[in-house]
Amino acid sequence: MEKSINAIMPGLCARVVVAEGDKISKSQEIAVINCMKTEISVPSEYNGVVKKIISKEWDELQVGDPMIIIETAE
Amino acid sequence: MIKKLLIANRGEIVSRIIRTCKDMGISTVAVYSEPDKNMPYLDIADNSVLIGQANPLESYLNIEALINAAIKTKSDAIHPGYGFLSERGTFAKAVEKAGLIWVGPSSETLKKISSKSYCRHIANKVNVPVIPGTLKPISDSDAILTYGKKHGWPLFLKLDKGGGGKGIEIIKNEREIKEAFKRAISIGKMAFGSSDCYIERLIKNPRHIEIQFIADKKGKCICLGERECSLQRRCQKIIEEAPFTDITEQERQTLFERTKRIVREIGYTGAGTIENLRDADGNFYFMEINARLQVEHPITEFVTGTDIVKWQLSIAAGEKLDCEQKDIKIKGHSIEARVYAENPKTFIPSPGSISFISLPKNDKNIRIDHALKKNLNIPPYYDPLLAKVISYGTNRAEATRLLIAALQNCRIKGIETTIPVNLAILNHPDYLAGKIDTKFIDKILNH
Repeated sequence: MEKSINAIMPGLCARVVVAEGDKISKSQEIAVINCMKTEISVPSEYNGVVKKIISKEWDELQVGDPMIIIETAE
Repeated sequence: MIKKLLIANRGEIVSRIIRTCKDMGISTVAVYSEPDKNMPYLDIADNSVLIGQANPLESYLNIEALINAAIKTKSDAIHPGYGFLSERGTFAKAVEKAGLIWVGPSSETLKKISSKSYCRHIANKVNVPVIPGTLKPISDSDAILTYGKKHGWPLFLKLDKGGGGKGIEIIKNEREIKEAFKRAISIGKMAFGSSDCYIERLIKNPRHIEIQFIADKKGKCICLGERECSLQRRCQKIIEEAPFTDITEQERQTLFERTKRIVREIGYTGAGTIENLRDADGNFYFMEINARLQVEHPITEFVTGTDIVKWQLSIAAGEKLDCEQKDIKIKGHSIEARVYAENPKTFIPSPGSISFISLPKNDKNIRIDHALKKNLNIPPYYDPLLAKVISYGTNRAEATRLLIAALQNCRIKGIETTIPVNLAILNHPDYLAGKIDTKFIDKILNH
C-alpha cells in the first residue's frame, strides 16, 4: 500500500536522506526540516520501500505536506 | 550624507535602523518576503518593496532583487543588518558596483576576513594572543592526529568560513577524528561553501568577552567597551551584559589596544566586534571578528550613551569619527535578554500567530527592540528571535532587577517564548553572584 510521510513541522526542507528504491524501517530518519534554523528530524512511520521523493532542499513546508511516498510491506 | 537607505534584512533590526534614520533625517526603504508582508515596519518605512518568496535564497539572500529594489526606490545606500548577507563580500561588491554606499567594511576586507584562519594569522602577526591551535587550514585528518598527539585532547575542529555555532566538532580522542572531520567537511560544503577546517585547543570554563569598536575611513578607531556573552545554548547567545564585572581597567585597556592593532592591520572600517575568550586563569585570547552590527549592540549603547547605527551611517558616508577614545565613558550596567519563539523546556521552535501582545513601554531604563504586533504571523522560515529586552541600571543588581520586572510584564500569546528561561537564568543565585560561563545554561536546565 502507498503511504506518504508528511512534514511534522513547518519550515524549509533541509534535506531528504533516503533515495528512491531504499528499503526503510519504522522510525528511521527520512528527511530533515529546517524550522526557524533548528533542524528537525522526520522519522518514517512505516516499514517499506521509498517509491517517490517529493520534497527537495529549500522547499517550503507546512505541517502535513507529503515529503516522500513509500510502498509499505503490509 | 546618505539620503535614502535600504535595509536588506527583516525583523527587529529593521525597526531599530529605521529609528536612527528618522533621527538623522534619512529616508528608509524596507524590503520583505511574501510571508513578512504584515511586518509593522513596512508602514513606518518611507517605501517598502516585495523582494521574493519565503525561501531566503529568493528574498533576503537574493542579491539581484535587493540591488534592484535599491535602484527602483532611488536609494543611495544599503544597510545589511546582521545575519543573511551582512558579512558577504560578494553582496558588498555588488552594492559598490551599483554605485551605492555599503554600510559596513569594504567588500575586499569582508572577503579577506571571511577566513577565520586569516584573522587568527593577522592577530598573531600583531602580537595578539590567539586561542592555541593551527594558524592555517588543515588539509587532512592526519593533521588532527599529529596535533592531538602533541598537545593532547580534547580539541575543537572549526570551519574556516563557519558561523552561528555550526560545524564545530569536539574531538575527545583519536577514535573520534575521522567521523568528526567528515561531519565538519559535509556541513562546511553545504552551509558555507568551504570545507576548510582549523584546530583550536579547548579553553576550560571560558568567558566570552567581546570588544565593540568603530573605525572611520581616516584611520581612527575607538573602542566602546566590552560585552560579556557567556550565556549561550547551542553556541547561540541568550543573555548578554556590559560591562564585564570581572575585568580591571588595565585589562580593558590592553584589550582595546589589541583590538586597535588588529583593526589597523586589516584596514577595517565601520562598526565591528572582536570576540575573545578568557580562561580560568584570566588570560584573554582572540577568537574571531564579527564584521557587522551585532544583535547585542544595545547594551553598549546604554552604557556608553551612544548610537552605533548613527556612527555606521556617517562613517559609511565618509565622515570622520566625531569623538575620541577618552570621551567614551562606561557608566552603569546593561543586560539584554533575547526572547526566542521556542518552547522554554525543549527549545523546539514555535512559529505561529501572535494572538495577544502587551510589552512594557520604553524609558530611560528599559528598551525593547522588536517588530511584533497583534495577529502578526511568525513564519517558520527565519531566525526565532522575537524581541530583545534590554535594561539599564546604576549597577548589575539594579539592571537585573529591572530586566526581571520587564520580562514579567511581557505578555505574548499564541506562540511559545523563552521568557521563562530568561527569568530562570536571571533569578539563579549563581547568575546573581556572577558565577557564569558558557556551560551555565546546560547546567541549570539539566537540574
